[in-house]
Amino acid sequence: MNARVLILVPLFCAVSLADDPGCAPDSPTGEIRYALSLTEEGSFAAGLRVPGADTGNLLLLEPSFAYKYGDRWRFSTSLAGLAETQGGTHEQVRVRETYVGFTAGDLDLTVGKRILRWGAGYAFTATGILDPPRVATDPTDRLNLNEGRELGEADWIAGKQEITIVWASAGLVDQHQPGVRDTAAVRYGVMFDGFDTSVIVAHDGGGSTLAGANFTRVIGDAVEIHGELAWRQQAAVLLGGKYTLRSGFSAIAEFYTPPNTAYYRPIGMPASAGRQHYGFLRLGKSPLRELPGWKEWDVTVSFVSNLDDGSRIGVFDAGRRVKNHFRAYLHAQTPGGKPGRSEFGAIPYSALVSIGVTVQM
Amino acid sequence: MSNRVLWLLAGCLSIASAASLSDADAQALLRQSDLRRNGWSSYVGRVKITDYESGKADEEHLYQVSQKGPDKTHVEFLSPREKGSFLLMLGDDMWVYLPDTSRPVRITPLERLTGDASNGDVARTNYAYDYDATYLRREKCGDTECDVLELTAKRKASTYHKIVYWLRVADAQPVKAEFYLTSGKHIKSATFDEYRPVAGTTRLVRMTLYDQIRKQSHSVLEFSAFQPRELPDKLFHQGRLDRF
Repeated sequence: MNARVLILVPLFCAVSLADDPGCAPDSPTGEIRYALSLTEEGSFAAGLRVPGADTGNLLLLEPSFAYKYGDRWRFSTSLAGLAETQGGTHEQVRVRETYVGFTAGDLDLTVGKRILRWGAGYAFTATGILDPPRVATDPTDRLNLNEGRELGEADWIAGKQEITIVWASAGLVDQHQPGVRDTAAVRYGVMFDGFDTSVIVAHDGGGSTLAGANFTRVIGDAVEIHGELAWRQQAAVLLGGKYTLRSGFSAIAEFYTPPNTAYYRPIGMPASAGRQHYGFLRLGKSPLRELPGWKEWDVTVSFVSNLDDGSRIGVFDAGRRVKNHFRAYLHAQTPGGKPGRSEFGAIPYSALVSIGVTVQM
Repeated sequence: MSNRVLWLLAGCLSIASAASLSDADAQALLRQSDLRRNGWSSYVGRVKITDYESGKADEEHLYQVSQKGPDKTHVEFLSPREKGSFLLMLGDDMWVYLPDTSRPVRITPLERLTGDASNGDVARTNYAYDYDATYLRREKCGDTECDVLELTAKRKASTYHKIVYWLRVADAQPVKAEFYLTSGKHIKSATFDEYRPVAGTTRLVRMTLYDQIRKQSHSVLEFSAFQPRELPDKLFHQGRLDRF
């Protein structure tokens, strides 16, 4: 019996159990959520070292819709339509998520395309086996362009414990993405003594098995620590923490060391480069704090460095909200390092500046 | 017994009555006042916050609040620029789910919102769970006779370090409050403006928070659609935080 069958059998069993009338709410009602955002962004690359346009424009339309019927049924979809101009113009529609969910007692079933994030890290992840690619220079996916995986998922929650079983396709509807395989994964999460912990085991069809664990813990009023340990042929380790000042500004620092194996290797990194070590530092105004006089502003400065080849990249983000529906922002990044011979030095410009405005409804 | 002795005796009894309240019942009085804001053990409702700058309406925020027991609160953000965000408070542990991170992120108590109105003002309204009460005095607040309590934070997730709380003597209904940080700074004041009968209880439907640092700012909180509702425990599990 292969891993796919092992995942699907409990899913079908759960559906048959779902007719238990005791699970149904007294008077289920439907609820709708929807959102629409339109972003217009212009970019300029300085010191471009490859042929091509040094200016670009992005028009981004992102609708989302969700419907919930009682506590049992839910449907959610999130799309992104892009028109990108950089020399020529290219249009694209991305299905970020579209899934149906069904709840039967303590069991939640989900089928469709969905973004999962199991990693506990901010800029890096060692255990995020089903996560969208984590980009240290844009860990929050500032334009919301990440896409989920096509998957079937069963979640069972009891008290502070949670077990999730997932089978994710390499691409049934979507085209297969390079390097992505069918994945069967199990995650056990539990909260104990303030530690929010997960243990993850996953197997890629025709590939290797990953085993890992991660945690987060808050200490006192101001400190959060997190860590990840994963084993897939070799160990990958992430340690990080966040410190929040009373002023509302916060600092996040992470150290990450992945092995230079096919699964963990960044695009363009030679196989001979050996184990890599990264440092990450982010200083910013917490998006959760509304500082007097600052409440319309979000400001962050990040710094990522490959500690082995000495390359680095600095990222600056500033945004200002205007009333209830508008936001203007600036994103800038400047890489450094030996051109062509280091990870961030290989980025073909000396600075990239993007300025945009978003309307949200 | 002369009239002078009777008045003296009545005066002593009155003083003894106030003293006994301060000794034993401040916490009970606080629990009674909480019923005006948390009348049910499990409920759902909406909170609309309108921020005012120099008397003009500035921003609006809308939240759907689901609360179960004194320590479980789930907040869904519904205003346009915050849609898709959720906040979960379980005792002293807090998570926030933001659409751009696509996962529940653990947050520290210091990351609670401050400003005119905060997440704590929306999500932590069970003061008897978060604060120890001490009876201070009885005094007039406007036309109303009030008992004054001093509340001191007993949990690290409590929104404020200290609250001075005025409750109507007749029924412990909150009248006004002053909020203080650990530093002792007076950060906000509140008036509890309007109560209405809701599902068999009298509930707060409107309050105003005045920023004591930016004196020209204040926020009006309007509570609506509050109703008792049996909520499943798993609504308050961090792993399900992204599901409305």
